[in-house]
Amino acid sequence: MSTDIRKVLSELYPCRSDFIGKLCDLLLESLPHVLYVYGHSGTGKTVILRDLLRLMGKNTNFKTSYVNCIECYSTKVLLENILNDLCSIEGVNINCENVNQFTEFLKCFYTKPTHTSLIMVLDQAERLRDMDGNVLPSLMRLQELTGLNVCAVLVGQISFEKYYVANGLPELVTLNCGQYTKCEILHILSNHFDAARNNLKDYIIQHQLDKNDMQEKLHIVENITIEFFNNYLNIFLYVFHKACRDLPELKNTADVCFISYMKPVLSREVDIMDAQKLWRSITPTLRTALTQIYMRYDNPYELKCSSDNEIQKIARSFELPFYGKYLLIAAFLASHNSANADKRLFVKHHGKKRKRLQDVNAKAKVFEKTSAAIGPKTFTIDRLLAIFYAILDEKVGLTCNLLSQISTLVQLKLLSFVSNENNIMDGSARLQCTVGLEFVVFIGNVVGFNIRQYLCDFM
Amino acid sequence: ATKRVGTPKRNIHMSNIVEEMIFDKQDVLSTPKLKSKRSLAFGKEKDIEKILLEVTPKKPVEETPKRVQRSNSKYVKDSETPKTPSQKLKMIRSGELTPSFKEREGIEHSKLSKNDLQLARERLHVSVVPLSLPCREKEFENIYTFLEGKINDKCGGCMYISGVPGTGKTATVTGVIRALQKQVQEDMLPAFDYLEINGMRLTEPRQAYVHIYRQLTGKTVAWEHAHALLEKRFMTAAPRRITTVLIVDELDILCNRRQDVVYNLLDWPAKTAACLVVVTIANTMDLPERVLMGKVTSRLGLTRLTFQPYTHKQLQEIVTGRLGGSEAFKGEAIQLVARKVAAVSGDARRALDICRRATEIADSSKGKEICVNILHVQQALSEMIASAKVQAIKRCSRLEQILLQAIAAEVTRTGVEETYFMGVYTQFESIANFVGGILVPNTGQVLRLCSKLGAERLIICEHTRNDIFQKILLNVSTDDIHYALRVTPEATQ
Repeated sequence: MSTDIRKVLSELYPCRSDFIGKLCDLLLESLPHVLYVYGHSGTGKTVILRDLLRLMGKNTNFKTSYVNCIECYSTKVLLENILNDLCSIEGVNINCENVNQFTEFLKCFYTKPTHTSLIMVLDQAERLRDMDGNVLPSLMRLQELTGLNVCAVLVGQISFEKYYVANGLPELVTLNCGQYTKCEILHILSNHFDAARNNLKDYIIQHQLDKNDMQEKLHIVENITIEFFNNYLNIFLYVFHKACRDLPELKNTADVCFISYMKPVLSREVDIMDAQKLWRSITPTLRTALTQIYMRYDNPYELKCSSDNEIQKIARSFELPFYGKYLLIAAFLASHNSANADKRLFVKHHGKKRKRLQDVNAKAKVFEKTSAAIGPKTFTIDRLLAIFYAILDEKVGLTCNLLSQISTLVQLKLLSFVSNENNIMDGSARLQCTVGLEFVVFIGNVVGFNIRQYLCDFM
Repeated sequence: ATKRVGTPKRNIHMSNIVEEMIFDKQDVLSTPKLKSKRSLAFGKEKDIEKILLEVTPKKPVEETPKRVQRSNSKYVKDSETPKTPSQKLKMIRSGELTPSFKEREGIEHSKLSKNDLQLARERLHVSVVPLSLPCREKEFENIYTFLEGKINDKCGGCMYISGVPGTGKTATVTGVIRALQKQVQEDMLPAFDYLEINGMRLTEPRQAYVHIYRQLTGKTVAWEHAHALLEKRFMTAAPRRITTVLIVDELDILCNRRQDVVYNLLDWPAKTAACLVVVTIANTMDLPERVLMGKVTSRLGLTRLTFQPYTHKQLQEIVTGRLGGSEAFKGEAIQLVARKVAAVSGDARRALDICRRATEIADSSKGKEICVNILHVQQALSEMIASAKVQAIKRCSRLEQILLQAIAAEVTRTGVEETYFMGVYTQFESIANFVGGILVPNTGQVLRLCSKLGAERLIICEHTRNDIFQKILLNVSTDDIHYALRVTPEATQ
C-alpha cells in the first residue's frame, strides 16, 4: 500500500520524491508523537499532505483530519473540527469545550483495541501559539494522553524555534520542505505545456471572430512543440528567477506572458523559429510583468499597461473637497517639516536672519536625516490648523465642517492617530500623515499649490 | 447580610461534606452529631495514654426545636441504602449517612516486629501530637484561663492568637479544649459546645456559615439559609443556652473585600444571648491592624497572644520528648538539627521532618546501626536545605553551561540584570571560541537551549517568537554559576 501511495504522489508532484518518501516513512508505519513540516509558501506542503490524507482515507486503518488553524478563532472550534473528522457519527453534534474533553472523547471513541491510526494535520500552525497556552503542548503529547496511535502533523512556514513557550515543549520530528531550484521550476512548468496551449486556444476563440483566420491560428497553436515552450520558459525564468521563486505566482505569470509571446507569431509578423525577434518582442512585456508580480489583476489573458501612473489614479479617485485637499497638504507639510522651521516657512514677516557658518553646515543635506528616510513625524491638531491657515490665502471661519473633515481624512486612512486619540479636544492627540509625496504633489497641482517650495528636503 | 431563606442548593460538593480524618490519638474533639453512633475502639492497643483519651464527653443534647423531617419512608427506610443518587445526596445533606473510608484489607504490623529506628520514626511523625506540648506551658495556661473564665461566666468574648507556622498554635488550642472537656466530665465546669472552622478548608469565606451550622445540627444547607439560622440562634435568648467555643483557624483567608463573614463571626460574641467565645488563629501579628477594618478590629479586642518561634533548646526538648527515652538518636545529632532549624525559621515541623529523614538514612546505611549519628543528620540537612540549583548547573550539557556563562558575562558587561539574546549570543560565540573545540551553534539552536533552560527555571526568558530581541534574566546567582563550573574537572584542564 505504501509503495502505491508513494508512486501516485511522486507522479503527481515531480521533484518532491524525497520529501514524499520521508513523509510516507513517518506516517505509514508507526506514528511519531508529533511531526512538524515547514517550508516557504508555494513549496507544496499543504497540497501533498492533503493528497496523502485522501489516499490514506481510502484505507480503513487510517482516520484522518485536516484543519486550517486560521479558521479556528477559538480552541473549541479547533477541537470540534478535528473531532468531526475523526469521530463522525451520523446526526450527532459533537460538543467539546476543552482539551480534557477532547482527549476523553478520543479515548472513548477508540476504546476497542483497533489498529486505527489517527492523523490530524493542522495547517498554518503558527496560529496555535496565539490560542490557549495548553493547546500546543497537549497536541504534542496526544499519544501519552490518549494511549492511541495518534499523530498531530503541524504545518507552518517558520522554524520550530519560534514556538518554544516558557514552560518548554517536548522534542519532536521536523521535516523541511525545501525550495525548488531553477531546474526543478523549469521541469514543473514545462509539465504545464498542455494547459498553456489550451489557454492559448481559449484566448483565440474568445478574441477572434473571423473563422478562417481562427482555423489557421489554431493550427499554428497545435504545432507548437515542447522544445519551443521550454525555450520560452528559459527566457521567462532568466528574467523572473531573481525576483520570485514562488511556483504558483510564476505559473500564473508564465501563462499570461506566453500569450503575448505568441501574438507576433499568430499575426505572422515573426516566424516561429526566429528566437531573436521573439525575444525582442517579448522583452517589454516581461519588464511590465516584473513590476506587477504578486498583483493579481482580473484579466487572465492581458497584462495591464502601466503607462498611466497608479498613484495619480488613486489620488484622482479620492474626490476630496477643496478645504479637505488643503488640510491634507497642511498635514503632509506638518509631518515632513520640523516644527522649528515653521516660522521661516509660513510667517510672512519673520525678520532677517544673519547667515552663520554653522547654520550653513547644519543645512547641509544628509540623506539619512531627510524625512524621506526617517518617515513622517507626528504633529498636533493645533499645528495642522496653523499651517492650514498659513497656506490658504482666504480667510475661512473655523467651523465644525472644517474640523469634521479632519476626522473624515482619518477615516479614509489618509491621516492616522498615533497617540491619545481619546482626548482630541484638549490638544494632546498626535496625528501623522500617511500618504506619499507623489500623491500630495498631484493634489497640490489640482488646487494650484506648489508643495516643493515648502518642503525642507527640497531647499 | 440577606435574610433570604431558600431551599438548600442542589449542587453539593463532597469536599464540603467530608470532614478531615481524625487521628484516633486525639479522638475526643468530637462535635455533636445528629445520629452519631460512635463506637470506641477499645482493646486494640492497650496504651495508657489512649485509655485516658478515649472517654468521650457526654454532652447534654440540645433541646433546639427541630423541624419535623419529611419522612421519605416510602422510598428509604432508615439505615437502608439509598436507591437513587438524589436520595443519597439528600441523606448526606441531612446527615443520616456518615462519610466513611474504605478499610484496608491487609493486617497491620504488630509493634513487636519494628526495630528501634522505626519506632522512633513513627513517634517523630508530625501528626502524632503529644498530650501536652513541651515548651508551651505558658501559652497553654494563658488560653486555658481565658476560656475557663469565659465558660464559667457564661459570657462571650474573642481572642487573637498569632505566630509563624509550626510554632504549636493549633495544637495548643486543641489541647486546651481537650483539658476543658475533661473538666466538664468531672463536673468541675459547666458544659460547652465546641465548633471549629479552618479558612483553608473553605472554598469561599461564606461557606463558614455552612460548616458551623453543620457542626451544630449535622445538616448541610445553603450558606444564606445557614447564615439566617445562625443569626436567629445567636441573636435570640434561649433558656438553657450553653456556651459555644468557636475556633477559627487561618483567619486571614476569611477576609474578603467586604469582610462581612469576619464581622459576623466577631459580632456574635458581643450579643448577650449568644454565649459565644471565638478564638481566632493566624500567622501575622499585625493582621487586625493591617487587613481588617476598624470596626472589625475593635470587636476583635485586645486579648492577644503571640507564639514565638522555637529556640534551639526548645526544639531539642521537643525532639527528645518525642523520642521518649529511646536510644535511637545521639544527643549531638539532635542538637545539630535544632540549631540549624532554629537559625532558619524555628519551625518544629521542619525539625521533625529532618529527624525522620535522618532515621531513614540511618536505616538504609550499610552499617545497620541502631543509632542516628551526626553524619546522617548532616546528610539529611544537606538534602533538605542544600541548593538544587548548583546541582542542576553541574548536570547541564556543555553548551548550556557555556550559555549560562555567556549570560553572566553579558550581565557584568552591561551592568543591567536584563539582557537581550543578541548580546548573549555574541558572548556565547566568544566564550565558545575561547574554549575551543566547539562548533558554535547557530542562533536557532541557541534559542532551543535558551527555552530549555527557561523551562528548568535556571533563567527566565520570554516566548522565543521574539527571537534575538527576547529578554533574558538569570534566575541563579552568578556566584552559583562560577561555583558550579569552577569545581568541574573539565574546567581545570
